[in-house]
Amino acid sequence: MEPIIKIENVTKKFPEGEGEFVALKNINLEFQEGEFSGIVGPSGSGKTTLLNIIGSLDQPSSGNAWVMDKNVAELSHKESAQLRNLHLGFIFQVYNLLPVYTVFENVEFALLLQNKSKEERRKAVMQALEWVGLENIPDKKPSKLSGGEGQRVAIARAMVKEPKIVLADEPTANLDATNAHAIIQTMKKLNEELGTTFLFSTHDEKVMQYLNRIIHLKGGEVEKDEIITAQNQKS
Amino acid sequence: MIQFILKGIIRDKNRSLLPIIIVALGVTLTVFLSGYLAGVFQDIIHQNARFETGHVKIMSRAYAENNEQMPIDLALLDVEELQESLKNSYPEVEWVKRIRFGGLLDIADEKGNTKGQGPASVMAISLFSKDSHEVERLNIENALVKGSIPSQNGEVLIAHDFSEKLNVEIGDEITYVGSTMYGSMSFQNFIVSGTVHFGTAGFDRGAVVMDIVDAQTLLDMENGATEILGYFETGQYDSEKATKISAAFNQSYASTDDEFAPKMFSLEQQNNLGDMLAYSNYMSQIIVIVLIFAMSVVLWNTGLLGGLRRYKEYGIRLALGESKGSIYRKSIVEAILIGAMGSILGTILGLLATYYMQEVGLDISEMITQSSMLMPSTLRAKMIPSQFYIGFIPGVCAMVLGNMLSGLGIYKRQTANLFKELEV
Repeated sequence: MEPIIKIENVTKKFPEGEGEFVALKNINLEFQEGEFSGIVGPSGSGKTTLLNIIGSLDQPSSGNAWVMDKNVAELSHKESAQLRNLHLGFIFQVYNLLPVYTVFENVEFALLLQNKSKEERRKAVMQALEWVGLENIPDKKPSKLSGGEGQRVAIARAMVKEPKIVLADEPTANLDATNAHAIIQTMKKLNEELGTTFLFSTHDEKVMQYLNRIIHLKGGEVEKDEIITAQNQKS
Repeated sequence: MIQFILKGIIRDKNRSLLPIIIVALGVTLTVFLSGYLAGVFQDIIHQNARFETGHVKIMSRAYAENNEQMPIDLALLDVEELQESLKNSYPEVEWVKRIRFGGLLDIADEKGNTKGQGPASVMAISLFSKDSHEVERLNIENALVKGSIPSQNGEVLIAHDFSEKLNVEIGDEITYVGSTMYGSMSFQNFIVSGTVHFGTAGFDRGAVVMDIVDAQTLLDMENGATEILGYFETGQYDSEKATKISAAFNQSYASTDDEFAPKMFSLEQQNNLGDMLAYSNYMSQIIVIVLIFAMSVVLWNTGLLGGLRRYKEYGIRLALGESKGSIYRKSIVEAILIGAMGSILGTILGLLATYYMQEVGLDISEMITQSSMLMPSTLRAKMIPSQFYIGFIPGVCAMVLGNMLSGLGIYKRQTANLFKELEV
């Protein structure tokens, strides 16, 4: 089966003073559709840089990064935006909801960018809110939500367009243990029911318990690519 | 999407309220000042119209050619009949007769010897006719310094400065020395009923106001007048109407070569007022452009601040897959909406303020030491058609310009930094 994400000899360098800093060194990775994987590693190991490249937010200095059969290295800004709009969902450490809009409108925004009809949007938004258990509070403003609710709205926003891939950067960093588990369980459920590929960048042990693959990065290189067996994994 | 943007504008007070208030204030100022300037220039026109030109004026052809010399021998005759015919033909216009002429004033002492003398410029108007509005039109009541308005024939008003120069008191007798319209010598005594302040040096040095019947007698100008002035009953000068009436009136005398035939002139055909009107429009445009520029700078800053404040929101939208071009275009649509809202509000406020200043005005009579016949004691604005759209130029353009410039930052933004930026 063709991988949904294929990283091929990817190197990413950033200018630093008169020289350059190598954030990723010749990375080769493949992700199959439906994976629930995580990239872990200390600060500066290249987690976010790799997530940026997979999310078509950045381009590799050399090598190729194929996402949904599109080579991120060759995409124009507009094509990158289109890839994100149609196939990628993002979940951030901070929920980053638009404060003036309601829960419903925050989730709806991603669909407005796809020019979906009002009825299509309404159905999809309510479905997404149901997935995360917030179907009863579509009219609440972000300021009235708890931390857990806020992150669940962010998940609904990422999932409403039913993307093939969801990229989550430390999604539990601002949550207490109970909420963190609840959030990860929600994402795991969506992964299983919808077949969405989830890729996390995380330090959080609670998240790692649920992953079926953990890629350890260190100094911009893959130190270990670990497949977690079902008996070691939390469901 | 427009609906989505509108919701954001309405709900986000930082995004909408402050910019709308600033736009509205700027637009109010632009609209009001535009109306105020129109009012100022209108006052200048009114001042000319009240004193000298009317909205239209009829003189004999010969008089018109030399009117600066006030040649009374070339005055119009049979003016009662002409005035009646004008009333019937143009009932929307008030027609008034006036005579302007010059002579010498002689003031005698108790023994009958001359104690003072001076050249006088006389304006004869209809002071006692029931239908006449000349006293109000010339603001005589407010311009009175001493005494009262003449109550009967034989009484006159003289310029206050002139009275002081000649040492004339209220109730004193003065003698006019001049000539009739046929060239004979003319002498007549008048009683000074009051002194007035004209507000212009030329008149204040030596002007006299008397009733037109007294002047007709004095000048042997029975049923005559040097000019007939027409005033639109609305009080407002209507250039198009004045031109039309003048053309129609003159057409009716086109077949005669008589140099005493009456000829009508519109306001802008007299005293270079046409150039003045064009100049006033030009000046008005320049002042409005300066205001537009000044307001644009202020509103541009508002746009810049708005763009900076929403840096994070734009980041989220980029991450969600909105292109930079789309964000940029929507920020401009938003600026147009905010600019339009502020402009509508500002235009309404500006028009209301102008309307108030047009109808009620600002009474400055207490601020000026002495009201004059020439200077109005109430400042007024004038509503003009351009006020309905002029405010939209700074209101919308400045907001759009501000957003266009601040929005350029969107294109410079590195999406690679989004994860880090959105963690904060």
